[in-house]
Amino acid sequence: MAGQRAQWKGFVKFGEVACGVALYTAASTSDRITFNTINTATGNRVNRVFVDSETEDPVPKEAQTKGFEIENGQYIIIDPEEVAATIPESNKTLEIEAFIPCSDIDDVYFDKPYYLTPSDRTGSDAFVALRDGMRKSNVAAIARTVLFRRMRTVLIRPHGKGLIATTLNFDYEVRSSKKAFEEMPKIKIEGEMLDLAKHIISTKKGEFDPATFDDRYEAALAELVKAKIEGKALPKRKKVEVSKPNDLLAALRQSAGMTKAADEKPKRTAANANAGTGRERAARGTAAKRPA
Amino acid sequence: MAPRPYWKGYLKLSLVTCPVNMTPATSESEKVRFHTLNKETGNRVVSRYIDSVTGKPVKDEDEAKGYARGENDYVVLTDDDLDAVALDTVKTIDIEKFVAADSIEWVYLEKPHYLMPDDAVGNEAFAVIRDAMKADKVVGVSKLVIGRRERAVVLEPRDEGIVLWSLRFGDEVRPEENYFEDIDDEGDPDLVPLVQKLIKQKAARWSPEMASDPIQESLLKLIAEKKKALRSVKKSTRGKETATPASNVINIMDALKKSLADELKSKKAG
Repeated sequence: MAGQRAQWKGFVKFGEVACGVALYTAASTSDRITFNTINTATGNRVNRVFVDSETEDPVPKEAQTKGFEIENGQYIIIDPEEVAATIPESNKTLEIEAFIPCSDIDDVYFDKPYYLTPSDRTGSDAFVALRDGMRKSNVAAIARTVLFRRMRTVLIRPHGKGLIATTLNFDYEVRSSKKAFEEMPKIKIEGEMLDLAKHIISTKKGEFDPATFDDRYEAALAELVKAKIEGKALPKRKKVEVSKPNDLLAALRQSAGMTKAADEKPKRTAANANAGTGRERAARGTAAKRPA
Repeated sequence: MAPRPYWKGYLKLSLVTCPVNMTPATSESEKVRFHTLNKETGNRVVSRYIDSVTGKPVKDEDEAKGYARGENDYVVLTDDDLDAVALDTVKTIDIEKFVAADSIEWVYLEKPHYLMPDDAVGNEAFAVIRDAMKADKVVGVSKLVIGRRERAVVLEPRDEGIVLWSLRFGDEVRPEENYFEDIDDEGDPDLVPLVQKLIKQKAARWSPEMASDPIQESLLKLIAEKKKALRSVKKSTRGKETATPASNVINIMDALKKSLADELKSKKAG
């Protein structure tokens, strides 16, 4: 923990128990390629300016304020400072309101993760008991507090030796999956198609460590830029053929067949490594052709 | 109102391919939408794009993306150019691997998206992939170019559709060992059962209500009250222009403060 400053320090409170905790950012966004916007007519960069919609004169930041429309272009001005003033002073406490079963958690609400650690030795017994209690009961905790000048709901759960607090998006920021998928036809897949698909899946089962994943985009983009500069023709993307409903079963059979064949190739073990020389195999081959 | 698809492409499992589209699962929307205004004139403030050298407005059709090779040295890239980046993962999500549904650590989940067939011709193929994952309790792992980075993605079947999660890169997640190393491995055996008792007392089911925004609730209530107040003033003055922004502003602040105090009080009592 040397050198890392906590984003927030306060207390986690459950019942009458409070323990001092520190909150640390668990994830950051690494750099990516950025493009500038160019005016192709002049080759110059394009800048964005903020102007008065009537006068077209630029409006400096100090002259900008917030307002909401009541009707017909009429606005009530609300100073951003007044909106900020509505945020209550932080009481520095993550008060646990409820414990929910882990299976209830809808991950679509997750915003940002933070590591939670005890901030002093005296509180650490309570911290560790909370962690183990939640783990044994298979629950996560819901708490609210003012975090980074906004009232946030946070989901707290055990993670390794510590706890992770994930801020949750507000309900109106999350599009319900039921709504998003409601237009879709209700198709249930059964029988051979399902079995074939499950077989294909079983041959591709494995483990995945996200930490080992590499991004090839920047290199591929650099290649493209190089080609463009050199005036070379840019590669055209191959057209993708989609599976037609009538061919779906055949495509599944073929995919499963391909993977079956890969499965059934005899594995080279120490035992059979020297099992056959070319000649012997040829002899075996002709032998097999003789009618039984 | 459904948002416009954010991305269109293909979902592939071995030789089965179906056209799909993707929309973000979360939005930056706010319940209370504020506009930016000019204090001096009361007019809306809007953005304009101007040439950084000439200061003149730039026509939409003249705008293009530029890749900076050096100071003021740009290579113009059109949307067609960007589509031609030589990675299949720009347009196709090819599921290469399946892992147990709960094996991807949540700390790696970056942004959720909703994946759906983009054409009726793909409905069945999509359903096959989805139902097989459901039956086996697995999620699919693949790669996709999103926002100018190729990311690992996880496909999670949900109801009739699939939730696609972009994952964070290894260097974007700080190692937990750095933070947790000094914490005890085991809790006090006398304390833990007490915690479990408390957990039982405070047990609840998840509800989206738990993610409500009390500040926005207060703001909305007040805006409604303000609207009513203005309308009744308008009625009594019969068409005369009424403009009392100054007093409105003061009232809002006081009322907001009061309702927030009430809200907090009732929450504490409840």
